[in-house]
Amino acid sequence: MNRQIRTIADLDRVIHEPGRLMIVALLFAVERSDFLYLQHETGINKGTLSSHLSRLEEAGYIEVTKTYRGKVPQTLLRLTGAGRKAFEQYRRKLKEAL
Amino acid sequence: MDQVGSLLDRPKFYRNIDGVAELGGGVMCLGCALLLWLPADSVWHRISIFAFAGLVLVIHYGTKAIKAHITYPRTGFVEYRRRYRWLTAIIAGALAALVPVGLVIASRRHWDITTPASLIGLVFAAAYAYQIARPVRWKWVVVWAMTLGSLVIAFLPADVLRALANDSWVTHPVRTRLVGTILLSLMIYGTMLLISGGISLWLYVRHTQAPAQEGQ
Repeated sequence: MNRQIRTIADLDRVIHEPGRLMIVALLFAVERSDFLYLQHETGINKGTLSSHLSRLEEAGYIEVTKTYRGKVPQTLLRLTGAGRKAFEQYRRKLKEAL
Repeated sequence: MDQVGSLLDRPKFYRNIDGVAELGGGVMCLGCALLLWLPADSVWHRISIFAFAGLVLVIHYGTKAIKAHITYPRTGFVEYRRRYRWLTAIIAGALAALVPVGLVIASRRHWDITTPASLIGLVFAAAYAYQIARPVRWKWVVVWAMTLGSLVIAFLPADVLRALANDSWVTHPVRTRLVGTILLSLMIYGTMLLISGGISLWLYVRHTQAPAQEGQ
């Protein structure tokens, strides 16, 4: 039982937050996507989504590229190698804990 | 954990959120049916390889255009991973190699594979159910229609199937009934995919709207 509790305590806090978990899981399944796609799939508002993305970028889990689609600005997001590893580890630990 | 699993599946289903994958499949099925139906002396038959290449190009660029002008501005852009590119190519190559083998089998006129061939539609319906219908409840109607279509074709009188493919260029080496079965199957699945894809696109356009300006 103690081991399980310790495993839960060891979970990556950056990923464990529900909003960020949704973002990382969605990005894990694709090569890259844009801000609009994440907003559509998660239902999170622009401001909150931006702050989650900043937190993930600070942790080195995602790579953000600003570009244009025609004349419209587009923000492209990709999970980094570290982000992929962290998510895989998070899933493994969560399975162990449950 | 299951919720994480379903999140990982969501980008897969996003591929057909606008029904474009079905529209492409439908056009491909109907195009192949048309090429199969052509008589041997038809001008179109002589240039059928170019017609097929044209069909593939129309589907490829048509899909890209719809995605770029309708889907990405409304619900966002996704680039998929290409991890299993080699595996996919090997499987596709193996399946493509099975086609001439199937034709050789079919050309041995004492082997009648018409009924098993029509039941391949059940595999098609199962694949459609798994890949496309899982997240959209009303598409299960299409799955059942495809299943029913396969069973009806399997038990159709031979005369009806022969009449369909009487003039086809393929009937020289292959049984007319078998060609009729493949033709009818392609026509039915193609039409169903076009209708289902059309409805999906209509619903998608109706229920989504491009934001005034893209996020951030």
